[in-house]
Amino acid sequence: MDADSDVALDILITNVVCVFRTRCHLNLRKIALEGANVIYKRDVGKVLMKLRKPRITATIWSSGKVICTGATSEEEAKFGARRLARTLQKLGFQVIFTDFKVVNVLAVCNMPFEIRLPEFTKNNRPHASYEPELHPAVCYRIKPLRATLQIFSTGSITVTGPNVKAVASAVEQIYPFVFESRKQIL
Amino acid sequence: RSLLPGRRRLRQPAGEVFTMSGQRKCPDCGSSEIVEDAHYAQNQLVCADCGFILTEGLLTTTFQDEEHLQEVTYSRSTGQNEQLSRCKQRGIKRVQDLCKVLYLPAVFEETALAYFQRAIEHPSFHLVSLEKKEILVGCCVFVTCRQHNWPLTMGTICSLLYADKELFASVYLCVLKELELDVPALSLTDLVKTHLNSFKLFQSSANIPAKFAEDKGKMVARTIQIVELASETWLVTGRHPIPIVTAAAYLAWQSLQPVGRLTCTFPRFCKLAGTDLPPPAHLRLKELNDILLRMASQLAWLRVLNVDKKTVVKHIGDLLQHRHFLLKSSFSSGDSEDQSATAAGNGPESSPRAAGCSARAEGCHPGGKQKCSSVQRPLLPPCLINPRKRLRTAALSPSDQAITGDEAISDSEIEQYLRSQEEMQEFSKAQAWH
Repeated sequence: MDADSDVALDILITNVVCVFRTRCHLNLRKIALEGANVIYKRDVGKVLMKLRKPRITATIWSSGKVICTGATSEEEAKFGARRLARTLQKLGFQVIFTDFKVVNVLAVCNMPFEIRLPEFTKNNRPHASYEPELHPAVCYRIKPLRATLQIFSTGSITVTGPNVKAVASAVEQIYPFVFESRKQIL
Repeated sequence: RSLLPGRRRLRQPAGEVFTMSGQRKCPDCGSSEIVEDAHYAQNQLVCADCGFILTEGLLTTTFQDEEHLQEVTYSRSTGQNEQLSRCKQRGIKRVQDLCKVLYLPAVFEETALAYFQRAIEHPSFHLVSLEKKEILVGCCVFVTCRQHNWPLTMGTICSLLYADKELFASVYLCVLKELELDVPALSLTDLVKTHLNSFKLFQSSANIPAKFAEDKGKMVARTIQIVELASETWLVTGRHPIPIVTAAAYLAWQSLQPVGRLTCTFPRFCKLAGTDLPPPAHLRLKELNDILLRMASQLAWLRVLNVDKKTVVKHIGDLLQHRHFLLKSSFSSGDSEDQSATAAGNGPESSPRAAGCSARAEGCHPGGKQKCSSVQRPLLPPCLINPRKRLRTAALSPSDQAITGDEAISDSEIEQYLRSQEEMQEFSKAQAWH
């Protein structure tokens, strides 16, 4: 198998985290009383609201900042965030949907080969950090993309980055290095 | 000094008188018995007869004199204590203590102190709890050891400092990031040697019967071979190193004299050796035995004997000797079934290159309990061989993929997330009971 040959890798996005602001103060007690599917965490000062479709969990703070997690694509995240803002509007708050931003994307990718982690770490210092006593995977950071990859010996790679494009280019960048250190026939 | 007469001086300094031979003469009584004596710490030339002081040394020393004095290290003088804060002093002392306890060379102590002093200046280590500062001490020593390839595990440091392992892990990663340090990987061979040093099996004593005592060199060599075998077969990658070393040591010990030792269980072995039995070690032992059994199924003379996991230990010596060949033949590469490596029809020394398939078919002994080598297991990490059932989220369906995020939102869609008036009343009634 040549590293340059076109290998189609499936990158499965498992989580997209986004934030937006409502630009108005929110009364958490009112949301907890009048909203369905909500959990009020009084000690921390936030409300958790879950939407069914798309499957999203939102953390709502009284300052008007809302964090949405659980979406499987950037568009779905925006879809869910707008629904949430509309729900808050219906509850009676003067909500304006602003400052929407995708903050974090978590994706999983499977390589069709196993990877020799000690060899990989040796060839890729200082970006790669491998401490078997702490975590079974190698932690590889790509600073310009602000992406972190966790590379397991089974060939499974978990990528986190600021957006889907960064995640895709991170996987592209890591492929040749990982291919170098793949398990060879004994 | 009490033998000399009481000393006295002239108010005005008297000129010294020298005899012809250059010896000094007392200006007062003229005797040439001049003695050099010290009055407390002050050197003086005194006349032995009349007690006249000819010259006296200075009480204070000049800068030039001090250059020739014996040096006292800065850390032992009081100067350092005045310039450093108490937190730093305590940390420095702790680093020195830790290095002494671990019997580390002096170079390590200097490096660790340098790292500690750099780190403690950082706000992320200066303004933290005392627990974290204590752990920082351990991290600096640990990093120093790893950089010099001294096999020290985090477990050891955590137990010495009574530190929480997770907190240690986070402080350690922080130290690496802030000080921008590069730490080489832990060398398993060195770790084996150091870990086995702490085993108490190398001399027979009250608890250890003679047949259990073992020669250190042989045991270390065999344990290293078993650990290398484990690392070639995916048992080491990503796992804690100490349980593997413990399991390998147990197998090595048993195999060196199987007769008396097969009945000794793993927990008993660890108790005899005076070492802990970490929980994953049982699993590692099982995995190692599985690998060894597969290798044993490829050796002709072992196929005749019914080798199972209890008796494979006896043959570890042979298996290790020919491990490269046996690994090739007992595990498929995943690419092709017929390997160029032969199933051992003859002795391993003279393994002729026979056609793979036919030789393998002959190898299946009818009476043997072993698995026929026609089913070769691929050489994969254990978690892929026995995969845990995992609920994978389904990929986006085509309709979902068409979401743009900017679609219109209908009221009815939102109604489902709001409570009706009756629901609200019920809810507040329920809340009132809290």
